[in-house]
Amino acid sequence: MSETTGPRMLEASGLRSGYHGVTVLKDIDLDVGNEVFTVLGANGAGKTTLLATLARLVPLTSGSIVFRGDNVSAIPAFETAARGMGYVPQERGVFPELTVLENLNVGGMIGERSPEERMREVFDLFPDLEALQGQMAGTLSGGESRMVACGRALMQDPALLLLDEPTAGLSPLYVDMFFEKIQEIHQDKGVSIILAEQNATKALEVADRVMVLSLGESFAVKDAAELTTDQLKEGYRI
Amino acid sequence: MNLDWLDAFLISGLFSVVVIVGLGLLLHLQLGLTRIANFGVVGFFGIGMYSFGVLFTKVDWPFGDFWAFLISLAFGTFVAGLSGLLVGWLIADLDEDGVLVGTLGFATAVAILATTEDGLTGGARGLGGLRFPYDVGSVKADEFLWLIIVSIVVALILLYVWWVHRTPYGRLLIGIGGNEPLARSLGKPAFRAKLWLFAVGSAGMGLLGALFGVMERFLAPENLGIDVTLAAMVALVIGGTARAWGAVIGGFLVIGFFDIIVQSYLPFPREWYGQAIPNIKQIVFGAVLITVLLFRPLGILGDMRRDKLMRRVHGG
Repeated sequence: MSETTGPRMLEASGLRSGYHGVTVLKDIDLDVGNEVFTVLGANGAGKTTLLATLARLVPLTSGSIVFRGDNVSAIPAFETAARGMGYVPQERGVFPELTVLENLNVGGMIGERSPEERMREVFDLFPDLEALQGQMAGTLSGGESRMVACGRALMQDPALLLLDEPTAGLSPLYVDMFFEKIQEIHQDKGVSIILAEQNATKALEVADRVMVLSLGESFAVKDAAELTTDQLKEGYRI
Repeated sequence: MNLDWLDAFLISGLFSVVVIVGLGLLLHLQLGLTRIANFGVVGFFGIGMYSFGVLFTKVDWPFGDFWAFLISLAFGTFVAGLSGLLVGWLIADLDEDGVLVGTLGFATAVAILATTEDGLTGGARGLGGLRFPYDVGSVKADEFLWLIIVSIVVALILLYVWWVHRTPYGRLLIGIGGNEPLARSLGKPAFRAKLWLFAVGSAGMGLLGALFGVMERFLAPENLGIDVTLAAMVALVIGGTARAWGAVIGGFLVIGFFDIIVQSYLPFPREWYGQAIPNIKQIVFGAVLITVLLFRPLGILGDMRRDKLMRRVHGG
């Protein structure tokens, strides 16, 4: 695992957000460096809302988000993406009516390096996608769709990747493969990762630090190795 | 030019087909690619028609007809584009119901304004004084030439649509239609793209409205009925919303059948053409639309890509 005190990739303080007047996130503080930062929590804890808020897809009620030194609290989602924030949603992560190749190309429309070079790297990381490139994304299996969504986010050359439960509902084979890829993306490409997961055992294996979310509040933020089972159970309200 | 071989009804019928094909093509970009159900097509059509007509006939132009005509045409197109920008800004973030009601409301407002603003539009009495920017000797020849000119304009619209399909901009529109939040999270300015699409589409609809007004030579609020929007939509849905050629095939099949074959070549009693045939036309439009949506939801042409997807999803 990499160091936990790298340059501050993302700082958020006092985050409050939600939907239709209902507050989901309550005063969340976050400080992420060059690391794999995992957000754990039970169903309904607010993990998806947290990542969507950081990606600027859910409006803030209060608080601020500073990404790579710039305050991005008030800018739209498409601008955070251009500044190096990649987002992989849990569901509906592909454009079903575009082919795999077209999906990946949509991600490659921003960034400075040549799209061909980035495409090669994505195919090296997910070799299955190269064979599937002409197939409609709407016809892919769950695991294949997640690979496309992840590959497309990497086509943006992100400095920070927000992964929302990338292994939810996948077979054990895909789950193992995804956690290996997450480590590879961080260690080989130097991409910081905020990973929302329910699968605590697997997530803690790849995480540097962890936040346990409970009913929209930050229950604990710790080095992954220091988190005890009792703390986890309390956070999950088990 | 000797045009004895050409039936005046055929010119008029073909002209209706060409205009509806043009509107259907522009609607294809909005509905077929981006899933914006614009039910206000006739509103933008009417804005262009009246802006052009009022400027052309009411201003005492210091130079010849040709330049006055071109300036008025550009003005009509611009005003329609501007109104598209405004309406687009209002509806861009609404859900399907909001878009439907908003665009329908806009078209209704345009028709009401055309009827009530007597001083400017002539109100229910209509606005005369429109004319072709040329004179080639006879009314029929003038109309035939105008049909050719408008066909070229619609061919250019088809070329634009074809080009959009092959560009990253087209993929962006399909992406927005399929999953807008995802498109935004990927750095795509979805709101701006929808606004631009709406402005360009509306400007095109306004241009077609102005060109239509010239052929009519007389602008009346009756031209701004919902049937114009319905005709474009029916043509597009029947041809295939997802394919550039869908509006062309649908337009010729649906509008061509009524405005050319029924109008000129089927031996119905003369008195039917007043009310019965237009009413039957609306009923058939509705029936065909329901049938196509039930049995061929992607239209006659379908969409190779979506067909594959649907087969995979639904089996078969």
